[in-house]
Amino acid sequence: MAELQGLGAALSEAERSGVEIVAISPDRNEQSQRLAEGLHLGYRFLADSDLAVTRRYGLLHAKAGPGGQDVPRPATLVLDRDGVVRWLSVTTNFQVRPDPADVLRAVRAL
Amino acid sequence: MKPGGWLAVLGLAVALGGIGAYAALLRVAVVRNHPELYVVACAIGTVLAGMALRRPHRWPTWVALAITALLLLGTATFNFVLARVPGGPTSVRVGQRPPDFTLPDATGRPVTLAEFRGKKPVIVVFYRGHW
Repeated sequence: MAELQGLGAALSEAERSGVEIVAISPDRNEQSQRLAEGLHLGYRFLADSDLAVTRRYGLLHAKAGPGGQDVPRPATLVLDRDGVVRWLSVTTNFQVRPDPADVLRAVRAL
Repeated sequence: MKPGGWLAVLGLAVALGGIGAYAALLRVAVVRNHPELYVVACAIGTVLAGMALRRPHRWPTWVALAITALLLLGTATFNFVLARVPGGPTSVRVGQRPPDFTLPDATGRPVTLAEFRGKKPVIVVFYRGHW
């Protein structure tokens, strides 16, 4: 959640209504959704419970979860209005996530 | 305390302080994205504790060296081995449309990526969950 909050908090109110942020994880995320709404971060949490979408995107990290389950490789994509990928970041160390400032620069450049 | 003792305490403080500072500053992107810094702090702490043994000291200095060395081993293993995510190709390319999908949101309502097309830019974040 920490990096998600950073991203939401870095957006101005006007920008938040002009961009859709969807956060995909295998969890059901009611809790995260409530938290994000409390903070007015404008996030949509989507549950990829069987990781089918994660796999289709080539972002599966097999058996890397705390219980040995499959998890996504943390990744951030910026899509323009036509749904075309304009910016992409896939981490090689799960502690390292894109700097919200870099993501926003990509959004503002659209 | 003997001179070596102070140096050993300093070594412990640098190692533990490095780990603590990283954890405390996780929300600061420039800190978060340089996890090797806490490994470096543990390495410096281990060197200091090792240098302490060359000065007048008592047995707890050995304990400090053992702790800092274990912290170094633990943090290095975590950062360079356990936290690694394999690179490998993805099926997403800049300049192309990624595969469409429909997934339920937190209330169970299905959301389709293509529904935003022609309306607004989308930031898609894949993350590991709230653990």
